Amino acid sequence: MKLLALMKKEFHRFFHDPRLIITMLIPGLLIFCIYSILGSALWGEDETGYSFHVYVSGESALGTMVEEVVGDGWKMTPAEDIEAAKKQVEEGEATALVVFSEDFDEKMANYTPASGESAPAIVIYYNAADEGSLAFYQLATTAFDLYEQQISNKFNIVPHNYATDTDIVTSMMSGLLPFLVVIFIFSACMSVTLESVAGEKERGTLATILITSARRSDVALGKIIPLSCISAIGATSSFLGVILSLPKLMGMSIGGFMTSFGFVSYLALFLLILSVVPLIVSLVSVVSTYARSVKEASAYTSVVMILTMVLSIVSAFISGIGDWIVVVPVLNAVVCMQSILTGSMMIWQTFVSVGVNLVYTALLVFAISKMFSSERIMFGS
Amino acid sequence: MTEQAIFPEMGEEIVRAEGLRKTFTLSRKQQKIEKTGITRKTAVDGLSFSAYRGQIYGLLGPNGAGKTTTLRILSTLIRPDAGDAFVCGCSVLKEPQKVRDKIGFMTSELKLDGFFTPDYLFRFFGEMHGVDKDTIEKRKTELFSRFGIDKFAQVRVKDLSTGMKQKISLVVSIVHDPDVIIFDEPTNGLDVLTAKVVTDFLAELKNMGKSIILSTHIFSLVEKLCDRVSIIIDGKSVADGTLEDICAGDTLESKFFEIYKNVKGDEL
Repeated sequence: MKLLALMKKEFHRFFHDPRLIITMLIPGLLIFCIYSILGSALWGEDETGYSFHVYVSGESALGTMVEEVVGDGWKMTPAEDIEAAKKQVEEGEATALVVFSEDFDEKMANYTPASGESAPAIVIYYNAADEGSLAFYQLATTAFDLYEQQISNKFNIVPHNYATDTDIVTSMMSGLLPFLVVIFIFSACMSVTLESVAGEKERGTLATILITSARRSDVALGKIIPLSCISAIGATSSFLGVILSLPKLMGMSIGGFMTSFGFVSYLALFLLILSVVPLIVSLVSVVSTYARSVKEASAYTSVVMILTMVLSIVSAFISGIGDWIVVVPVLNAVVCMQSILTGSMMIWQTFVSVGVNLVYTALLVFAISKMFSSERIMFGS
Repeated sequence: MTEQAIFPEMGEEIVRAEGLRKTFTLSRKQQKIEKTGITRKTAVDGLSFSAYRGQIYGLLGPNGAGKTTTLRILSTLIRPDAGDAFVCGCSVLKEPQKVRDKIGFMTSELKLDGFFTPDYLFRFFGEMHGVDKDTIEKRKTELFSRFGIDKFAQVRVKDLSTGMKQKISLVVSIVHDPDVIIFDEPTNGLDVLTAKVVTDFLAELKNMGKSIILSTHIFSLVEKLCDRVSIIIDGKSVADGTLEDICAGDTLESKFFEIYKNVKGDEL
């Protein structure tokens, strides 16, 4: 009952303070926005956001090719009156006018440079002052150029340029994501735990609780359990921010990205996160209990966070780490998450890592309850 | 000693301190301030006393005499280096949790979280002491009305006046209706009206059969409230008994300075 009362108090403290809730949720939202914008800039997704109204004169299979490249925003209208269409482009009422010369596809198929005849032409009328029109022009010419390269030297074409870029980004993100997740968890844990433990100690409100007949272990658990739940909300918010924005950053669709991992992978990721959250909360709580003020606790925690960051990023990018990593708290989760994202997950490694992290958490909770009994730590005498 | 000792002429012995000793390490900064090279300071030096049921026992002494340290030992916040103390027969060393269940401790060092309302805090600390919900509600109505807190029950503590905060601390510290109430400088920092409310309540608690131990350096408070008093100087009890025994017809103030002069010489 006392443990329940302590837990309820922590939840009440958090959920009745809108500032704390916003602070906890906003990182995830920011991550989503920043990554999405970054992804759009990187992959030129803004261009597909335009609504292209293009007049086309003449018929060609290349029209369909452009349509595929541009996507849903493409609206192709046959130009019945070329002069009227030109005027509309000039005045910004239409995006562009594409004119294929007569029998374009046939002439293109039969054309040989050695014949001395002029090549079949595609004339694009566009308005460079209009962002949409310029974007279409760039997109269309890129597509035509690529096609032209293929037909002029088809056996030497290397058609996987974009795919190669995606692979590089995917590989990079697989290494970076676990590191990011750990950092988000750390940030979420720090923001609530420092205030709840070091803050209460500094203000003297923790001592008021210690004077009651509640067991020290109850007081410790009464902090760790709710703070872990609250931190998990923050961490989940950040995690969702990454997961939802990552496809955009990688130039993939959300659906395609999600289906590239199975349910077990997601479950394993979730369990790993759930095991790391109470561990970091406990770790920050130990530091906060030891510190004499929030300021001091922040300084100590920053050192721990930097150390965790460095080790996480190192272990995320070093290949061939031995199985011994499963006994190293936090880092075991980083390595497991990386394995999951690269499709080489080992289930035993994940479960052992989760178990090891929970054991470390239990040890830290025990340490906190001992620290609560220490007058040197609690009352600085 | 875990059994309650009975002294028929004074009532049931409810708190007993036996040779309490507590030393603290002085930091370099503290050594500099106190202009000493000594690394350890003795705050309480072999202190022994007994307090009886239904009485108010006062620890009287100047700042730094060791009063607060003694009360913190009694309330199990800190452990003595030597000696032991018993509250309702429970040792502060061996059964600290039981001791905490039997006492109410109020000191300005223990604060209430300003984010919460008096209503929430009273219920929370009631649950922390294992009091059932009905009793919590009953005591809340009684005590909030007695101290005029009922009007501010739903206002966050941080938005209340210092006097009101002190009243809330007082009622929260006795939410579980403890047998022994320990007050460290109960009227410090209070305006005259709130101080009177608090002293009147202490007398009321005594009449209800509660045992109270308080520390103070205010002579009038001891004269007004205490049945027995211990004068503490440099961590030692230099006089212990009823007011009549100690004063022997003189005022407490005169007697205190006489004792102080005898112990410390002309140093004032």
